[in-house]
Amino acid sequence: MIDVLYVEDNPNDADIFGRLIRKLNRSITYTVFSSGSEALDYLREQGRYEQQKTTLPKLLLLDLNLDGLSGLDVLEQTRAFARTRYLPIVAFSTSDNPKDIKSAYEAGINAYVVKPGSYQATGAVLEKMCDFWLENNTRIDYK
Amino acid sequence: MTPSIIDLTNCEREPIHILGHIQSYGYLIAIQPDTYAIVHASDNIVDLTGIEAAQLLGQPISKLLTGTDLPGSTLIEILNVVGRNESWESMNPHRLHLNGKYWNLIIHYYKGLILLEWEPIGNDQNLSINQQLIAQALSEVQSSRTLDELLQNTARRVKSIIGYDRVMVYRFGPDWHGKVVAEEKDDDLEPFLGLHYPATDIPRQARELYKVNLVRMIADAGSVPSRILSKPGWPENQPLDLTHSVLRAVSPVHIEYLKNMGVQASMSISLLYRGELWGLISCHNTSPRFVDFPARQAAKFVSQLLSASLEFRKDKEDQTNLLQYQQTGQQLHEQLLLSDDVVRALTKLPITALHVTGATGAALLFNNKVYRLGATPDENAIRALGDWVGATGTESFLETNQLPNLYPPAETFRAVGAGLLTIVLSRELNEYLFWFKPERIEQVTWAGNPDKPVTVEDDGTRRLSPRKSFAAWTEIVHNTSEPWSEAEISVVVKLREDILQIVTKQANEIRLLNQRLQLAYEELDAFSYTVSHDLRTPLSSIRCYTEILVEEYGADLTPDAQALLQKVIDSTDRMRQLIRHILYYSRMGRSELDTQPIDMRQLLDGIREEIMVTTKDRLLHFDIGETPAIKADPTMALQLFTNLLSNAAKYTQLTTEAVVRIKGVQTDGEVIYSIEDNGIGFDMKQAGKIFDLFKRLENARAFDGSGVGLAIVKRIVNRHQGKIWFHSEPNQGTTFFVSFPVIPAT
Repeated sequence: MIDVLYVEDNPNDADIFGRLIRKLNRSITYTVFSSGSEALDYLREQGRYEQQKTTLPKLLLLDLNLDGLSGLDVLEQTRAFARTRYLPIVAFSTSDNPKDIKSAYEAGINAYVVKPGSYQATGAVLEKMCDFWLENNTRIDYK
Repeated sequence: MTPSIIDLTNCEREPIHILGHIQSYGYLIAIQPDTYAIVHASDNIVDLTGIEAAQLLGQPISKLLTGTDLPGSTLIEILNVVGRNESWESMNPHRLHLNGKYWNLIIHYYKGLILLEWEPIGNDQNLSINQQLIAQALSEVQSSRTLDELLQNTARRVKSIIGYDRVMVYRFGPDWHGKVVAEEKDDDLEPFLGLHYPATDIPRQARELYKVNLVRMIADAGSVPSRILSKPGWPENQPLDLTHSVLRAVSPVHIEYLKNMGVQASMSISLLYRGELWGLISCHNTSPRFVDFPARQAAKFVSQLLSASLEFRKDKEDQTNLLQYQQTGQQLHEQLLLSDDVVRALTKLPITALHVTGATGAALLFNNKVYRLGATPDENAIRALGDWVGATGTESFLETNQLPNLYPPAETFRAVGAGLLTIVLSRELNEYLFWFKPERIEQVTWAGNPDKPVTVEDDGTRRLSPRKSFAAWTEIVHNTSEPWSEAEISVVVKLREDILQIVTKQANEIRLLNQRLQLAYEELDAFSYTVSHDLRTPLSSIRCYTEILVEEYGADLTPDAQALLQKVIDSTDRMRQLIRHILYYSRMGRSELDTQPIDMRQLLDGIREEIMVTTKDRLLHFDIGETPAIKADPTMALQLFTNLLSNAAKYTQLTTEAVVRIKGVQTDGEVIYSIEDNGIGFDMKQAGKIFDLFKRLENARAFDGSGVGLAIVKRIVNRHQGKIWFHSEPNQGTTFFVSFPVIPAT
């Protein structure tokens, strides 16, 4: 079982994310993918993950600004695939541009969170997110 | 036959070159060039040869002289000589002695026939006199200073040569009406100098003949013309063409005209300018008078001399004008190239558009503004004129010296603009350059009323006849200006090209600038994105790791190191805020406006709540009054009022009881909101900088801020075509006013 699958190509952000999750001390399991295509391979059991049974996370945390395949591409392709059509996905982005936010919603994001830009604030946001998406949210699971 | 409708074209239709008669003072036969067989003969030939015309028709030429003392072979020899040289007129006149009398034989070849005409000879003495006169005329042409002087002297020469009572120089106007411009006459005659004659006096086909046959004499208007007989069946329905005949009979209409004038003999000598009829030397004699061929030739020579001189003088005059206008046009072109400002180049410098023509006024209608130079119609009249020119479909230029006749409203300004020359700069944009010439109120003295050429006979039939009365009839020629010369037109047409070239060049430059602006915007987009993401991401890392340092290793750090780390954190905070504001600022300038009515009560309440949340522990009161709706982009309106209200909240921080009053007023054209606070205020002397990007006022330094907020506000107001102003006093608070037009710009 995996709680959070985080797609983030900035190693600092991934590192800070890891520190904050550990700090929460709730034994939350997570995996970080540093590219959109690797995340997609995992979710759709293709490429490196072909013939493997991958586990779907309770939450896909998606940075939108990625090199190569963008967050939006990952989002669209995830929604286009039956197994992950209803996977809870939260955008986690530096951009607060209304245009970016709107297109994310149009592509089927479940929530949009702007990266707060400070350690403490990010910690607070992550705590709330984990509370909600891992504890309170009811999912549709396709096995 | 009496035509049912009489107009002056009847006169124009009269076939005066094939009237079928000759004047009876001479004799005519026409022969075929190959056989010398006679095909036409004048009825009166019997008087010369003793043989009836009818008996000559179809006969060889040798038959002609059988009744005379001149051998027929003489004539044949003459014909052979001139025929061989194909110069039928080289021997004209050929003097022949016939039955005790001398005759001038005049030969010419025309339309397949040789015409032989005999006319009496004059006094031999004349010949040498004529040559003297010609020589004098030549020096006259060289020495006359003015055209008037030249014409007057020519009239005198011609009168000496032909000895008529009256010699006039008659000049045609552009509408072919004529004016007597020089006159030499016997003292007892009434002067015709200065009189105008309507164009119908000399119909078109007569003018054509004047161009071909330069000298024309009517020796006796009262004589009975002699009919021309034709060989039976020769040629069917084809009368002899008398275009070049010296004896050609006169149209009955013209005879009547002459009789009305009391003229018994007349002679006209054509004056040509570039192949067109410029005028006539018109000679009248009150009694029949025959002028022999050599004298007529002398007169013709004088007229040719004058014609040549006309061309020379007129060309020279035109050249001088053209050169002057061209130089001015060139200067204007240089001004255009240098200033790149069409209006300035044409109207504001020492050389203006007024100088390229002989106009007394000029006006430029450009960019919806009217610029006037010299004497012109008023601004409204010029705008209306522009509309009219646009409606005429004129593509490049329009020229008239009778504007009121084309465009009746022009009658009101005919004193300055009876003549118009205009070039079209853009019909779409209604841009024109006009030149005006004033009305030439001309006291024209008509020789008879030109409007009444038809007379009613005693028996009630109407017929066309020359006027009976030559009492001067005066008409004021209104609505007409001096005509525009070819030089004037050619120069303005060139000027049009010069202007359009500059206009096009400028349009292209603007297009290029637009393209560059587009590129710059795209680059700015990319830059904004970089700022929003790529700069903020490392900034966040700096911030987060500093926080981690403080949090996890804070205990190991000295208080000084801790304070330094806090400065790092504060600085990243400030930088993040700046980046965010710059982004907002650029976003407010470019994003599309989505204008809609905004519920201001809801918007302002929302902002108040947000501000109240972040300003705990303060006595801050928002007093929201009337809230008329505005039409604006919702995101931008929110940004605008958020900035203004947060500012009010911010700059009242030091006030013990802060009050911010917001209210809107709806007027006819706009909605004005005022935001009044009782905060620190500012000195109005610094007010000029308040909306500048990154500019902060001195007394605001203690407060957080990037200096971008009001710049964003200003930008939003501008985007909505609104206005923003304020009033403030240090320590007395500030009031901002923003107005939105009721109908927002799209």
